[in-house]
Amino acid sequence: MSESKGHKTLSACRANRPESGFMPSGFMPSRRSVLAAGAATLAMPYLSRVSYAAGKDVNVGVVVPLSGANAQFGVNSRNGIELVADQINAAGGIKALGGAKINLVIADSTSTPTSAATVGQRLIAQNDVVAILGAYASSLTLALSEATERRGIPLMTMSFSDQITGRGFKNVFQIISKASTLGEAQLKGTAEIAQKGGETLKTIAIMYEDTAYGSSQAAGLRTTAKALGITVAMDEAYPLGITDVTPLINKLRAANAQAVFPASYLNDGLQIIRTMRQQGIKLPVIGGAGGYVIPDFKKALGDYAENVMSIAPGNYDQDPSLTDAFKKRYGYFMVHEALEHAVCLDVLAKALEKAGKADPNAVRETLHSTRFEGGWCNAMTGRAVKFDETGLNTLAKPLMVQWRGDNLVTVWPDEYAKGKAIWAGA
Amino acid sequence: MKPWIWGAAALIAAVVVPSFLDPAGYPIRVLTLTLLFAALGQAWNIVGGLANQISLGHAAFFGIGAYTSTILLIHFNLSPWIGMLAGAALAALAAYLLSFPTMKLRGHYFALATLAFSEVLRVVASSWTSVTGGPAGLSVPYAADSLALLQFKSTTPYYYIILGALVLICVVFLVIQKSALGYRLRAVKENPDAAEVIGVDTTRVKITAAVISAALTALLGTLYAQFTYFFDPEAVFGIVAISVRAAIIAILGGAGTLAGPLIGAFVIVPLEEFANAALSSRAAGLSQLVFGLMLIAIILVEPRGLLVLVSNGIARLRKGRKG
Repeated sequence: MSESKGHKTLSACRANRPESGFMPSGFMPSRRSVLAAGAATLAMPYLSRVSYAAGKDVNVGVVVPLSGANAQFGVNSRNGIELVADQINAAGGIKALGGAKINLVIADSTSTPTSAATVGQRLIAQNDVVAILGAYASSLTLALSEATERRGIPLMTMSFSDQITGRGFKNVFQIISKASTLGEAQLKGTAEIAQKGGETLKTIAIMYEDTAYGSSQAAGLRTTAKALGITVAMDEAYPLGITDVTPLINKLRAANAQAVFPASYLNDGLQIIRTMRQQGIKLPVIGGAGGYVIPDFKKALGDYAENVMSIAPGNYDQDPSLTDAFKKRYGYFMVHEALEHAVCLDVLAKALEKAGKADPNAVRETLHSTRFEGGWCNAMTGRAVKFDETGLNTLAKPLMVQWRGDNLVTVWPDEYAKGKAIWAGA
Repeated sequence: MKPWIWGAAALIAAVVVPSFLDPAGYPIRVLTLTLLFAALGQAWNIVGGLANQISLGHAAFFGIGAYTSTILLIHFNLSPWIGMLAGAALAALAAYLLSFPTMKLRGHYFALATLAFSEVLRVVASSWTSVTGGPAGLSVPYAADSLALLQFKSTTPYYYIILGALVLICVVFLVIQKSALGYRLRAVKENPDAAEVIGVDTTRVKITAAVISAALTALLGTLYAQFTYFFDPEAVFGIVAISVRAAIIAILGGAGTLAGPLIGAFVIVPLEEFANAALSSRAAGLSQLVFGLMLIAIILVEPRGLLVLVSNGIARLRKGRKG
C-alpha cells in the first residue's frame, strides 16, 4: 500500500470524530461536514482494501507472528513458504487452473490471539484466500482456527497443541504430530538412546515455560513417564522470560535426575543450559523443538550446544535435495517450522491441482480425502501426507535430533537416523 | 448543536452502519473490537478519569469476567448472560477487597499495586490448569447460533450487543459524572486532602467508583470471550493487551471526558489495524513500530488528549471562517 493511502486512512480516522460521541458544546459544524465525516466513516474500512489486479491468481493467506516474542519463528516460517511459492510459480503455477500463480497474502498475527483471529478474518473477507497457512504458535493458531472454521476456510498449520485437531473442527489441518505424541516420543526416544548408551533411564527432571506450548509438552512427558515407570524427580513450571534460573538449577541439582527436559522456546532454554553447564552439571539435555533446533541455539551457546538433543517434528537432513535450496537462498539451514510450512503450501498446491478449482470447499474435501506424495512431502517423516477426519497428518512421526557442530543430525528412530546418537552431556 | 444531538447522531450512525457491511467481514469485526475497547476505556475512565486513580490493572476484572462466564458455561452449561452477572459480581468483590490495601496509595504507587494484582491473577490462571485450562487457554464450546448462549456465526449480533454495552457504560459514566458522586470524585482528583477536609468521605467515594468500574469491565470480559471464542491468560489478563490499552485509549482520547475513550478507541484500534494491514507483509515488526511512533506523535502534539486537539482545531477553523 502506498504512503498516501496511509495518510488517507489516518485522515479518515480523524474525520470520524463527530461520529465518536459528544463534543464539548460551543461549536457548530455544518451539516455538510457531518455528512462528509459520516461518509468517511463508512468508507474507512474499505480504504485499506488491497486490490489484486490479476484475477486468475490464487490467493493464499499466511498468518504468522512477524513481531513480538515469536517473530523469529514467524520469519522462518514465511521464508519457507515464500521459497515454495516461488518454486511453484517458476514451474508454471497451478496447471489445473491454467497456470494460475500462487499469490501469498502475508499478515502479521503479532503475538496476541485476538489479532491472529482479526487478521485471519481480514484475509478471508478482503483477499478471497482459498486457504490460510499459520500461525506458528499454538495459542495464535487456536484463535485463528475459530475464525477460519466459522468461515469454512482450510487452515493448514504446524502448531503442536492437541487442542487444534481435538475440537472436531472440519477446516483445520495439522501437518505434524501433535504435542502429546511429540512428548511421548521425546521420552521414549531418550530412553532408547540411553539404553544404547549403556544406561537405564529411571529418573528425569522436567522444567517448562508456563505457555500453551510448554505445559502441553510437560503433560505429554509426565504421562509417558508414568507409563514407562520413569520417576519425575522434578516438575517445575517457570514464567516465560524468566530472569534468574539459579533456583531452577539448584532444584535440578537436588533432584539427582539422569536427564533434564527444559521445554522452552529460545532464550529461557539458553539461560538454563548455560547456567547448568557453567555449574558443571553434565546431564544430557533434551529440548522440545522450539528454540533448540534453530541456528541461533548453537550461535548463542557455542560448545555448550554440542550433543544437546531435541525432539523435532521434522528435520532438514531427511531430504537435503529439497532443503538445500533454502540454505542457499537464506544462508541458514532449513529450520523445521520453515520446512513444515513449506510442506503445507506444497500439499495445498497439490490439492488445488487435484480439485481443479480455487474453492475453499473443494480444497477442504480434497485435503481430507487424498494421500499426498512427492515433492516436499519427501522431506516429511512418512514421505507422504494423509490427513484423518480430525485433520491430523497420520503419517507424521517425531524425530530426535542432536547437535553436531553447526548441524542438527537425526539420531532416532533408526529408520530415519542419519547419525549415531551420543548419550552424554557436553 | 447541543452535546446530546451529537450523541444521538453517533448512536444512529452506529446502529445503521452494519447494514452496509458484510456481516462476517473484516470491517465489522474491526468496528466491533473498536466498540469493545471504547467501552473498556470508558469503564476505566470512571476511576482513571473522574478520580484520577490511574489503574494499570483493569485486565484483572476483564479476565475475571471472561473466565467466570466461560468456566460456568463449560462445566455447568450456564448461559453466558448469567455467567456475565456472576463475573461482574466477582469482579466487584475483587475490586472491593483490593481497595483496602491500595486506598492509601497515590499516583505511581496505586498504578503499580493494580498492575501487580492483575499479574497475580494472570499467574493463577496460568497455574490452576484444572479449572482455567492453564496456559493453553479456554475455548468457548462451539454452538449453533443462539442468543441464550451468546454465540453467533455472524459478527453483526456481537456488534449490537457490544454497542449496547458501550451505551450502558457511557450512561453510567454520565450519571456518575453529573451526580454528587461525580463531584466528590473530582474533589478527590483535584486534591484528596482538601476533599477530606471539606467532608468528602474519600475512601468510600473511591471504593464506590472502583467497584462500579470493575463490574462493568467484567461484563466486557465475558463479551470478549464470547466474541473471540478462545482466550488464554495473556489475552485477558495481559498488561499490554488489556490494562495498558484501556488506559491509553482513555488518556489519548481525553481522560475524564465522556467522548475521550470513544475518540481514543476510534483512533487507536483502526490505526493499529491499518498499520498491520498495510505494513505487515513488508519488514517484520514494522507495523508495530509505526503504530508506536504514531502514538508517541499524538501524545507529543497534545498531551491532554485528542479531544482537546479536536475541539481546538474546530475552534480555530470557526475563527478562521469568521475572520
